[in-house]
Amino acid sequence: MSLAAEAFVSQIAAAEPWPENATLYQPLKEDQILLSDSASSLAVQTFLRMCGLPVLVSCRANAEYMSPSGKVPFIHVGNQVVSELGPIVQFTKAKGHSLSDGLDDVQRAEMKAYMELVNNMLLTAELYIQWCDDHTATEISRPRYSSPYSWPLNHILAYQKQWEVRRKMNAIGWSGKSLEQVYEDVSQCCQALSQRLGTQPYFFSKQPTELDALVFGHLFTILTTQLTNDELAEKVKSYTNLLSFCHRIEQTYFKEHERESQSGSSRHSKGSLP
Amino acid sequence: MALFQLTARLQPGKGENLRTQYSAFSRNPLSSPPAYARFAGAPLKIHKICNPWRSPTGSLPALRTKDEGSCSQPSQIIIQLRKQKYNADFDLSAKEGADMLAFISLLEERLLPALIYALWIDPKNYVEVTRRWHGENMSFPLNFFQPGRMQNRQLERLRLIRGNSSLEAGEEAEKELYHDALECLNLLSQRLGSNKFFFGDSPSSLDAYVFGHLAPLIKIRLPNCQLQQNLKNLDNLNTFCCNILSLYFPSESKEGVNRPMSSTQQGSDFDNEPYKRRKQLLSVLVAVAAMLSYALFTGIVAIEHVQEGEPIGPASLRGPSHEEEED
Repeated sequence: MSLAAEAFVSQIAAAEPWPENATLYQPLKEDQILLSDSASSLAVQTFLRMCGLPVLVSCRANAEYMSPSGKVPFIHVGNQVVSELGPIVQFTKAKGHSLSDGLDDVQRAEMKAYMELVNNMLLTAELYIQWCDDHTATEISRPRYSSPYSWPLNHILAYQKQWEVRRKMNAIGWSGKSLEQVYEDVSQCCQALSQRLGTQPYFFSKQPTELDALVFGHLFTILTTQLTNDELAEKVKSYTNLLSFCHRIEQTYFKEHERESQSGSSRHSKGSLP
Repeated sequence: MALFQLTARLQPGKGENLRTQYSAFSRNPLSSPPAYARFAGAPLKIHKICNPWRSPTGSLPALRTKDEGSCSQPSQIIIQLRKQKYNADFDLSAKEGADMLAFISLLEERLLPALIYALWIDPKNYVEVTRRWHGENMSFPLNFFQPGRMQNRQLERLRLIRGNSSLEAGEEAEKELYHDALECLNLLSQRLGSNKFFFGDSPSSLDAYVFGHLAPLIKIRLPNCQLQQNLKNLDNLNTFCCNILSLYFPSESKEGVNRPMSSTQQGSDFDNEPYKRRKQLLSVLVAVAAMLSYALFTGIVAIEHVQEGEPIGPASLRGPSHEEEED
């Protein structure tokens, strides 16, 4: 969103309270959604639950095209449509709900830096594995991404998306990396997160913040998604404090929906944590 | 080990201030590897060259080691230096190492796009500073189209990084990018506080990265860059950069002062030698070719096809009569 639009949205947002029928849109859960989108979506859902804001999850095949920025997930609240975690955090802040008010300046700097770390390394690694690794792209990503569409549109859209992601990888210098190097980067990122978390319940002592939501979203999705091999999940599992962190957040914020998610689990997602 | 980096050719009397500043800090990640190398005390032989194609990997900066070959990405260069046991991050605790990764990501996501915009996309800066510098330092005929190509590549890169394929040079893009970059600078300033370096008393790779990204903003005088004004207000970051400059790059921080005096004395012809000779040769060849073709077309000189066995007389006297006979 441009600056002017953001200011405008914040002004309007501040005027109304959070409605009951706020909806979050994401691609189809069973057949279409991919690892990176699922992680982002879960991060937003976790954040809203942490704030105590109710939201309905609606799965649509064209969620990506409905989104104002082209990225999922996005929320439809009252008259506004806001996509991606960053702008959603600002939007909820304008409505008076914030998780990071209690932090001082240095802590806020660190929180933003770690959120960028997750976006820079984890999200990019997920995108790389999905679209730049030929095996995964052929077996999982392309079939899933194009499942709602008929021939020949499915092929065109899938290859277009793959090409777009590969160009991005090229621009940021990841195209020269091998799969092992990417796994190594994921491991480094998890190590950094693990060291920052230490033995605390959340990243900034007792209260969860948007950083916790983001990390939970990504790690939980990595642990519960079946890819062509388990190496990514293994990298995350080797950090025990991150595992217990994920368990804790799942228990605290998702336990009443656990039964629902288990009964609705698909081939792609393994449901709850092992 | 040899490190190749981009620099300016010495040319007397042409915008010296501009050149000296830009040559020392030309591209933002450029300064991170040399800075890191100095922090770690690695014995590097630095080659300053003008033509990126002459580097071992085809782009700059580039590091060449005896065992591992060459690499070009700044992070790869730093990893190579660490493998050779030149490690500036030895004393960092685990948590500090984690913080370092996080802040490097912050720099790359927030500050780097704004830098690319300020140096390459903003029309005034590009025309007055970047294109002029690159044009002056590339050989003919590259200097006509290479800067334009580089600009297109940077615009493409910026669009892909921001995920916005319709990004154009303009006030809206500028505001958005500078807003993010300013936030990043404020966060860095808050993290640095009043310390000398980010982690304790000795510099680490985060300091090298931050220096590499901030130095162009501080040193190059861009005509149209709001971010520079904002950065001047953050005293601790300014002090941080000047500190590193004076401690680890004393020769380059003095260059700006000494260059006007020494260039008139030194025979800078010597440095220009290869390009000057080539230019002279090229211009002579072009002139000769032009004269020859003019002569041929107007008939001053005629080329005859003479069959074997016939006597060949002086062309100027017999020329016309031969032609008449053959007709």
